[in-house]
Amino acid sequence: MDNMERLIKEKIRRELEAQTRRHFIKQCASGMGGLALGSFFLGCDPLKNEQKGMKMAFSDRDLNPLATMAPPFDSKVKNIIYLHMAGAPSQLEMFDYKPELRKLHDQPCPQSLLEGKKFAFIRGTPKLLGPQAEFSQVGESGHWVSDNLPHFKKVIDEVAFLKAVHTDQFNHGPAQLFMHTGSPRLGRPSIGSWVTYGLGSENQNLPGFVVLTSGGKTPDAGKSVWGSGFLPSVYQGVQCRSQGDPVLYIEDPEGISRNLKKQTIDAINQINKDEYAKYADPEILARINQYEMAYRMQIAVPEVMNINNEPEHIKQMYGVEPGKESFANNCLLARKLVEQGVRFVQLFDWGWDSHGTDHDNAVDLGLRNKCREIDRPMTALLLDLKQRGLLEETLVVWGGEFGRTPMQENREGKKMGFKGRDHHGDAFTMWMAGGGIKKGASHGQTDAIGFAGVDGRVSVHDIHATILHVLGFDHEQFTFEFQGRPFRLTDVEGAVIKEILA
Amino acid sequence: MNKKTGSGILLLATILMAMYLWRVLKPAEKVDFSADIKPILNKNCIACHGGVKKNSGLSFLFEAEAMGVAESGKSAIIPGNGSGSELIRRLREEDPELRMPYQKPKLSDAEIELLERWIDQGAEWGEHWAYTLPEKVPLPVVSQEAGFSTGTASPFLKNDIDLFVLARMEGQPLRPNAEAPPNIIARRLALDLTGLPPDQNLFDAFTTSEITYETYVDTLLAQSGYGEKWASWWLDLARYADTKGYEKDLGRSMWPYRDWVIRALNQDMPYDQFTTEQLAGDLLPDPSVDQLIATAFHRNTMNNDEGGTDDEEFRVATVIDRTNTTFEVWQSTTIGCVQCHSHPYDPIKHEEYYNAMAFFNNSRDEDTPGEEPNVRMYGPEVQKEVDQINTWVAEHGNAKTAKAYKNFLTHMEPKYQLHNCEEFTNGELADTKWLALWNKGSALLKNVYTNNASAMYLSYWSGNNGSKITIRKDDAKGEILSQFTIDKTNGRVIEKVPFKKTNGKIDLYIEAQNNAIAPETATSFMVWAAFLEDLPGMGKPGYKAMENTFLKVLNTKVPEFPIVVENPEYMQRTTQMFERGNWQLKSDTVEVKTPAVLNAWEVAWPKNRLGLAQWITSDQNPLTARTLVNRVWHQLFGRGIVATIEDMGTQSDPPSHPALLDWLALRLMNEHAWSMKALIKDIVMSGTYRQSSATDAATYQIDPENQWYARGPRQRLGAEQIRDQALAVSGLLSDKMYGPGVMPPQPEKVWQSVYSGEQWVESKGEDKFRRAVYTYLKRTSPYPSFITFDAGSREVCTIRRTVTNTPLQALVTLNDPVYLEAAYHLALKMQALDIDRGIAFGYEKATFTKIAPEKLEILRRLYETSLSEFQSNAATKKAFPNFGKDKSPHLAALTVVANAIMNLDEFLSKA
Repeated sequence: MDNMERLIKEKIRRELEAQTRRHFIKQCASGMGGLALGSFFLGCDPLKNEQKGMKMAFSDRDLNPLATMAPPFDSKVKNIIYLHMAGAPSQLEMFDYKPELRKLHDQPCPQSLLEGKKFAFIRGTPKLLGPQAEFSQVGESGHWVSDNLPHFKKVIDEVAFLKAVHTDQFNHGPAQLFMHTGSPRLGRPSIGSWVTYGLGSENQNLPGFVVLTSGGKTPDAGKSVWGSGFLPSVYQGVQCRSQGDPVLYIEDPEGISRNLKKQTIDAINQINKDEYAKYADPEILARINQYEMAYRMQIAVPEVMNINNEPEHIKQMYGVEPGKESFANNCLLARKLVEQGVRFVQLFDWGWDSHGTDHDNAVDLGLRNKCREIDRPMTALLLDLKQRGLLEETLVVWGGEFGRTPMQENREGKKMGFKGRDHHGDAFTMWMAGGGIKKGASHGQTDAIGFAGVDGRVSVHDIHATILHVLGFDHEQFTFEFQGRPFRLTDVEGAVIKEILA
Repeated sequence: MNKKTGSGILLLATILMAMYLWRVLKPAEKVDFSADIKPILNKNCIACHGGVKKNSGLSFLFEAEAMGVAESGKSAIIPGNGSGSELIRRLREEDPELRMPYQKPKLSDAEIELLERWIDQGAEWGEHWAYTLPEKVPLPVVSQEAGFSTGTASPFLKNDIDLFVLARMEGQPLRPNAEAPPNIIARRLALDLTGLPPDQNLFDAFTTSEITYETYVDTLLAQSGYGEKWASWWLDLARYADTKGYEKDLGRSMWPYRDWVIRALNQDMPYDQFTTEQLAGDLLPDPSVDQLIATAFHRNTMNNDEGGTDDEEFRVATVIDRTNTTFEVWQSTTIGCVQCHSHPYDPIKHEEYYNAMAFFNNSRDEDTPGEEPNVRMYGPEVQKEVDQINTWVAEHGNAKTAKAYKNFLTHMEPKYQLHNCEEFTNGELADTKWLALWNKGSALLKNVYTNNASAMYLSYWSGNNGSKITIRKDDAKGEILSQFTIDKTNGRVIEKVPFKKTNGKIDLYIEAQNNAIAPETATSFMVWAAFLEDLPGMGKPGYKAMENTFLKVLNTKVPEFPIVVENPEYMQRTTQMFERGNWQLKSDTVEVKTPAVLNAWEVAWPKNRLGLAQWITSDQNPLTARTLVNRVWHQLFGRGIVATIEDMGTQSDPPSHPALLDWLALRLMNEHAWSMKALIKDIVMSGTYRQSSATDAATYQIDPENQWYARGPRQRLGAEQIRDQALAVSGLLSDKMYGPGVMPPQPEKVWQSVYSGEQWVESKGEDKFRRAVYTYLKRTSPYPSFITFDAGSREVCTIRRTVTNTPLQALVTLNDPVYLEAAYHLALKMQALDIDRGIAFGYEKATFTKIAPEKLEILRRLYETSLSEFQSNAATKKAFPNFGKDKSPHLAALTVVANAIMNLDEFLSKA
């Protein structure tokens, strides 16, 4: 088949395909409001090959599944930085101030609270454990914050608190999956995948969804918390290492110039295009794009992952430790990544499971150190985003997979050597800041001891609905057809938390 | 949008809607519970009225619950009276406070209508297809042969599978694709059956029609590569790895199990036997060493050596894992959820989880750092002594004693792990692993059966001389049963100490005294104690020597491999349910039992793992054969007949070809006697499999997932295949089989083990180039390029590797030195020829396809660019390629071309 004939065939086929696609988009768009169809088809074709004159009607998304797409509703917010404290931080030593709990310290927990409840480790009748930190009211908003977070007090008026979040999962793995995929079981796409699928990436030289971990371990639920589930795999999170090679094999072999690598990839992709013409398997198109992206990543990733070039005052502001894996480094990287147009940056910091079995996980000892590890960097992150004008277009979310009990943990019914709190899904605190979020807001209240939400309770699905809303999606319309039914991040639930919206 | 298309879609939608309404509303039609009712209940009701929550005392999970009286005192469903049933009334209720589903949108009229009609028709609670036996199905009669002219035999129809496929294709705008060209199908078959590209001679013989398709298939199935290829699939299920997992993740010797799998597959061990040996090899009469090695299937569970962890907690974790894995692997049933509550969707009850768990709760392993029990592999010299002892015992003792000695020599069980000691005074469990008594220390080991033995075998080590050990019956004042002195040892020893004969179960009060050592230091570290009946033949000549030989053999260091050994009767554990899955919250005691929804238990089966294996491999089990068929099909087509290969049940997808699934399942059991090779052969002999995967976009869009099989399978190769293929086409691949895991080159600092000194020591010689199945797998840090290509860390059973397509994969095949070295070696073969012929040769070698002129053109240009760059740049030409002595620009440029060829989609995929 000569070239011309192939091009004509390709064009016909393309048109056919475009019809199917338009139909698909129409279906979405009818519910999604003003989705700009044009953005699907216009824009640069990263693979166009002038030499061979192959200017074809490839849509951005076919060749590049990460091509930018506008959301159905206007939104200034482009990026997300999601800070997950893996292990579940204690809201009672950080944000949910309960003076009454202090008064009741060491009293047996009322039976009425325990009836019908089960806990991961608490047995019999546990005792209440007063807050193991001092609190003060700060900022114009007058939010209570514990002294574990002295720096964070400076930015308190930037954030909106959710004080009565609840989840129905009480083990780390399932609860993390639930928090990040909307389902406690494996197989659903993560929020980052949904968002990257819906919006694409602003930067075609970097992955659209980057994951950074600290605290010495990856989340209990494993890589599924940034998996793409049934969405195409290109939307899964790419884990970048903050020490050593950020990504393995990112360096060209010695003796291969950039030009030669480019020529090699061009040759591979040209032949792959022929292959596509024969098999029509979209995976081939995706592979073509992945090779292009690999080439560009080879320059962009080492550049963006290098924090050494940041000015000294910025490094100090975050408290970074170059060459190490730390939450502070990751916060600075998160800023750099969104600045470069990475859509979703997911940070996991391990070490928040304050059971009180040893020093490191005691709520009055180890937890304090963990707070210290995040206090300065997350404060710096908000300030740094703000001073660069990025905070308005970035949503920052902070939270864990559940909260912790107002009762002291008593493993096997025994008093333990250190003070700890058990897993607790009934009420915990999260906060959001940045674009679309009402500064200084606080929504939801827990009872006098912080056991359960009494007002403004919000679910994990509500959090997801709100995140999608801020980005310009209606969570009920943003679906993906899989196994015969449309799936949503929020499944069949979720309501936008209007109280914290700007 | 194109007007025509728009109205076409509208028309289609109208037709579909009409069809749906007809199906739903047809009044006479009997409502199918499984197909129509259960999905509505599952979707809308079960979250609040199901296994987890039973609001108002009502559940729609089990028939008895749904039909029973709820808290209101009424039944929700009155069979025969739809409109009078509370269920229907509440669904139609206008008051939102009363309407169900509560605070959710009202069900559609069609759905309510359907439910009402079902109740009117008697509310029969049907059984799900997955829990009923495969039905004997007649071969479908294909009327139109999907567009092929009748009369002449369709080239598509190669065996009966194709009839089922064609029957489902009928009525859809699809027809079978043409047969794939011989070179394409030859490569597809070789990769699918052996994981490697075909051997050139065999390829030539097939493509020149010297041998038939069937002979080609048979030849591939007979190659040892077959076992190596399919082992990767099974080892994912078996969670095979070379380390123990968890935080420390130390190495372990599990590789004989991996080799057992490869051999069993190559020998085509029938699947029922394959199952039985892995689940219960130790319970077979007089098991061979191989059968014991097979039981390591369930020793692939992780083992926690972290100090401070409770061995019992992690023993329980392994028991849970074994239960879950067994059901996932053999029954396509995710039973794990039932650990905490009755399954929200599948009819398996909370208690039944623990019934199933009880099968696995009586093995000897207890999460010890030594991973006991281990099978001991004696060398020929020591084996002679082992034989002598066994002969002696057989001659002088009874059969029971003979078996006891043989077992003890094989795996040193039964024995009591001393980490079970309690009530420590001046002593502790060192690192929560070993009994460490200080001066004047004591501890209690409860419930010990001493077997009327006059000696105790004790494993320990000590850094001190002169520690006096006293063992008393029951407590500090009890009768002295044994007294001996422990001296400094050179590592771990097994010593035989005299013991006063006692019968029945007693507590052992163990004391230590050594005034000479510092306070709070261990007199010794005791690992285990065993009570073996006395060696028979006392007084016979040679008795003493035989006793000595026995002890010497026990103390001989030999390779040891973890296996499963069942508890003797006096060590049986009872199994209790855990509240909400928490192992510390034990409630009711349960017996071994299999889920009631599946096949009935036969009285003849022993109530242990062997019985469980018989239950699984019974032809009355509805899930075993279907599961295997579905997963093998998935391996070949990239999709299961039931797309959810993890799950067959009410939550799973319905089978795309239910009749085919049952037909293949029955054929596997009845005609193939569980032969996996025969099953695979059936599938690859079909016309369905032989189709070309080439298509056009419009056709592709009709069935993007290829669930109706109107084209052949096309998938990216698996992690192991990608590396093996690169090594094979470049001639580097070693054909050495078996043995400990090898460590091919990987980047520096990938292994960062904080707690273990273990290191990645790059293998030498051909071990650098072994098949991927032999690569050392460290769970916390698997071989990086395999992970990038979607292989897992094998911490738990992996049923499906999600296939991804990422830039990181491109970086591996472009830049990983392993692939560059392969490219270099392919280039060496290309350079003997002129440029065009060399490139064509390399391309053909890699893809088994003649190069098209435009592809040659593209690659020649790449060669020329590379050549001029290497020629003009003196610095780079020295550096690349970094292998061998020849650094000519010509060879370097060919290496670049070979690297490009080995990055082509057609190379990385099977088409």
